Amino acid sequence: MTVFLDVLLGGVFHAAILFLVAAGLQLVFGVQKVINLACGSFYALGAYFGITAVGLASAAGFPAWTVLPVLILAGLAIGLVGLPVERILRTVYRRDESYQLLLTFGLLLMFQDVFRFFWGATPRTLDNAYLAYGTAEFMGLRVPTYNLLVIAASIAIAVALGAFLQKTRTGRIIRATAENRDMSEGLGVNSSRVFAAVFTVGCMLGTVGGALVVPASASSLEMAVELVVEAFAVVVIGGLGSMRGALAGALIVGLIRAAAIMVLPEAEILSIYLVVIAVLILRPAGLFGKAMA
Amino acid sequence: MNISRRTLMRGIGAAGLAAAAPGIFSPAIAQSKPVRIGILAPRSGAMGTVGECGIRAVQWATERMNKDGGIAGRPIELVIEEETSPKDTIERFRRLVLQEKVDCVQGLISTGVSLGVAPVAEEEQALLIMWDGTTQDGVKEAMPKSQYVFRSTDNECEAVMASLLSIKYFKGKIKRIAGINPDYSYGRNNWEAFQQILKRAGVEVEVVAEQWPKVGTMDLTSHVAALKAAKPDFIFSSMLFADLPVFMKQGSAAGLFEGVNLALPAAGWQINQLKKEFMPENIVFGHNTLYFALPNASPLQKAFVEDYMGRYKEAPSWEADRAYFALAAYKAGVEAAAKATGRWPKLTEIIESIPKQKIESLGGPGQFRADKIAEQTFYQGLSTNQNSYDFPTLKTVDSFTADQLQKPPGVDFWEWLKTSKLPV
Repeated sequence: MTVFLDVLLGGVFHAAILFLVAAGLQLVFGVQKVINLACGSFYALGAYFGITAVGLASAAGFPAWTVLPVLILAGLAIGLVGLPVERILRTVYRRDESYQLLLTFGLLLMFQDVFRFFWGATPRTLDNAYLAYGTAEFMGLRVPTYNLLVIAASIAIAVALGAFLQKTRTGRIIRATAENRDMSEGLGVNSSRVFAAVFTVGCMLGTVGGALVVPASASSLEMAVELVVEAFAVVVIGGLGSMRGALAGALIVGLIRAAAIMVLPEAEILSIYLVVIAVLILRPAGLFGKAMA
Repeated sequence: MNISRRTLMRGIGAAGLAAAAPGIFSPAIAQSKPVRIGILAPRSGAMGTVGECGIRAVQWATERMNKDGGIAGRPIELVIEEETSPKDTIERFRRLVLQEKVDCVQGLISTGVSLGVAPVAEEEQALLIMWDGTTQDGVKEAMPKSQYVFRSTDNECEAVMASLLSIKYFKGKIKRIAGINPDYSYGRNNWEAFQQILKRAGVEVEVVAEQWPKVGTMDLTSHVAALKAAKPDFIFSSMLFADLPVFMKQGSAAGLFEGVNLALPAAGWQINQLKKEFMPENIVFGHNTLYFALPNASPLQKAFVEDYMGRYKEAPSWEADRAYFALAAYKAGVEAAAKATGRWPKLTEIIESIPKQKIESLGGPGQFRADKIAEQTFYQGLSTNQNSYDFPTLKTVDSFTADQLQKPPGVDFWEWLKTSKLPV
């Protein structure tokens, strides 16, 4: 039982981070119909900026327990970079999807050099932050409290995002724009502002994900590309444009990976893509996606 | 960036020439143009840290050698290029040789890249001295008779040494072993070598877990959970990139290392990232060919470490030693050949001369074998956190020479492991 819980928590921690990035990807596609390959860059940006923010907070005398709120705030703040990036994307909204893919892929590569310029080529870590909250022991299990806090933070963000989209007026406008842009514009919705807001929120989900993961791992130039591949596996499994799909896909990927590592470590990557292939064959739109005409 | 760096290096070369003390070489040689050394080293990615360390060391060596007359009276000028993928690095190697017309190319850390570049060096008849790259296909030497390519020590040396020290320090306490090693031939061969050496030493063990994260995996929580579930009493890990500190941090937080002994043969590569907060003590900790805090270190090492730590506020890894060794070997080879011929030697004369020279490198003595594979001095020992740094040092320092840890020319590694006279 302890072993099972340990593996389960490992998988859910990975899923929690994946969900944030995939949710950003889904939100942007759902509303703007843009497949944003640069989502991995936002994740990496959050990680790098999180390190800088925690360093500044530490130098300013902030106590160790403030690491998590500082990281979340840092992620939200740097997520505002989504606004100028969205301005660039406007040039290709009405063009063929391949232009969007090329542009966002170009951004992904350019961001790598931005990280190199500001933070250098060497992987960066937050050494003490991971252990700032100690460890939690229950049912014979010992887990870093930080992992549990990240899982809780991801759940809170998922709930808040769901409530925002479903229960608020702005959420309804966003969903209406996603359903039919021309009709919503006809009813007086300023779709340009909606797009800017949605893209920025999508970007913030990625930057917060990156900021949250960095105490447990490290920031590196490659992390953007590595994550983007996994995030797309989540999206394919969950269904493009679906927030529920992002949640289900992230959990499936996280748990399957954790189980494979336990049972057959060589199949860590293979197991994820077997599921992707199975979904593509049996349910091409994904578990929660809508079939496109 | 490269242009300004080259300009800087030219400056260093010129300054060195101006400051050069009168040497043993004739004015005809001393007045010649600079010796151009091409450097290929990673500056980003998983190996960026160590590549940068090697570059800093070769720059330090260049400055020092130039102040002392350069190479046979000619100042050294570095032309630095980045080591990335095999394809791109081959293109840069050709550029260095054909366009920049360097006298020698040094560097390369990845064996995957080295395997691609080495045949090109043979084809171009260009001298290549590798820092950490080998031409091993797994554990098998792919270029036993290279003419122009000098290789580093075999990749498995540190694993062999860590295995021997594990037996020395923990025999009787190793019953249930687990491995977490990078998922490519280096990791797999090291893990296999560890098991073979235990077997040969009569240590009967049960392998309770084997983990193979791909290089660069930064979320290892599930790997840690799997290792914990297996309840090992000894963990062997030859992880050596940025993923090693992540593993140690996540493992420590999850209580993985309580009551468990560890061997980390390549940990020294990430020394500055392995913070005491998450590093247990008494790890068999590998520093390869440079232990920065070596007691009774040579004046050369002391001078280097002091300069390096003063300037960069961190400890140098063994890549610094490899970079210094490559340049020092070239210098020694050229100068011996120049002395013998009374003129600047031909490339073939330099190549013949290099293996005959005993080199004092940063980490200790070393020499190239006749088959152009390096033999250097290796350092490992048990770690301690009782020091003034924020990372572990060694409380016991063991040192072996590569001839004790490395298969002789033309011999199968696995056969050698079964039959060789091992030092422990």
